[in-house]
Amino acid sequence: MNCEELREHYELYALDIAEEPERSEVRAHLQRECEVCMAGVKRALETAALVGATAPQAQPSAKLRRRILASVGSEERRSSGLPWWAAALAMAALLVIAVYFAASSNRYREQAARLRGEMGAQAGQIARLTQAFAILSGPRTTEVSFGGAQPRPPAGKVFVNPSRGVLLIASNLPRTAADKIYEMWLIPRGAKPVPAGLFQSQDDGSALHVRPGLVDVASTAAVAVTLENQAGADQPTTTPLIMAALPATNP
Amino acid sequence: MLPLLMAVIAGPEERALVLRLQRRDPQALAELYDRYGRMAYSLVLRVVRDGAIAEDLVQETFLRVWNRVHSIDSEKGSLGPWLLAIARNRAIDYLRSSAGRERKAVELDETDHAPLYSGMEADILISDQARRVKVAMEKLAPNYRTVMELAYFEGLSQSEMAVQMGQPLGTIKTWVRTALQSLRDELGVVAS
Repeated sequence: MNCEELREHYELYALDIAEEPERSEVRAHLQRECEVCMAGVKRALETAALVGATAPQAQPSAKLRRRILASVGSEERRSSGLPWWAAALAMAALLVIAVYFAASSNRYREQAARLRGEMGAQAGQIARLTQAFAILSGPRTTEVSFGGAQPRPPAGKVFVNPSRGVLLIASNLPRTAADKIYEMWLIPRGAKPVPAGLFQSQDDGSALHVRPGLVDVASTAAVAVTLENQAGADQPTTTPLIMAALPATNP
Repeated sequence: MLPLLMAVIAGPEERALVLRLQRRDPQALAELYDRYGRMAYSLVLRVVRDGAIAEDLVQETFLRVWNRVHSIDSEKGSLGPWLLAIARNRAIDYLRSSAGRERKAVELDETDHAPLYSGMEADILISDQARRVKVAMEKLAPNYRTVMELAYFEGLSQSEMAVQMGQPLGTIKTWVRTALQSLRDELGVVAS
């Protein structure tokens, strides 16, 4: 087809409702950088964008901005919600107290240092639980159970959300030696496992581990856990203790 | 209203913003969000009608822009229309998968089409044209407006619209053509 025959299909193409064979013809013209069709489709895309801008104005939550920035590693992620503010305020107050006590005696200094450490640990715990809650409450979270059929299994559930991350909740994990640690893996279909963070189990064999961030659920076959040396590994070096296969999704 | 005002003010800085995004400056992403976040969210919410899902999809949209901004020409690229196209594609894609509808064989790939967003007005989304399209959409006869909305906000093909509206395919095609002609007339655009 020539450009003249295609010109009344530019807008349909831009709206993604052009039919065959015109759709493929327009695409072919664009791929060979046909100037006439490039100009026509560009104008049609402008109009399509303007139609998009007619949607009724709505206001996203303030958290969305922080989530987006956090997902590219921006510093602003540190202020993600009330628990953080509370933790930050408590931390600031603690530091003031620490300075005061530090001037008084070594004993107070040690106490303040210990409290600071505890506050830091609590802040980390709050962050982890906040991430876990976000995954659990995500509207597109997939839930997979594992370990139910084994005689003495590490058992539990894996929750996967495409934009919020992966949450592992496990029980019956064996006690680890001092120089060992658990490592979680995302296993893509037909590709090497990707490290998804290190964690330790509690004394009772339970564990909660979060790997925040985007997950390509469609191309992920399973979530696994292996026991590794303390520094972790780039690829699994032992047989997985946990293997949670994700259901296949539409491509 | 604020994002629109910011867009007006920031229009001439669009090229610099593209360059900063290409240099992986997270603050540039913050500015991009301040400029287009509400508009993208409004569009996606109109499509999926669920605030939590809309926020997830807007997050994916901005990350996609962040990861693919190198495909935009920093000299001429216009981020707004490109970003809205990505947002709309994400939302329609979600809608189609959640409804068990098949995806189209050839999807409008916004990365392949990135060069088409070169040379657009940086502030086209808040220009007089935007206002005129809004007015034109409101003035369309109900059937014409419905087919435009089903196409743009629901991602329905003309055949799917025919089934949903209980009309012959030929009638739907006529309505779509007429609706597009009305928009064209309102914008003073002559079919290329």
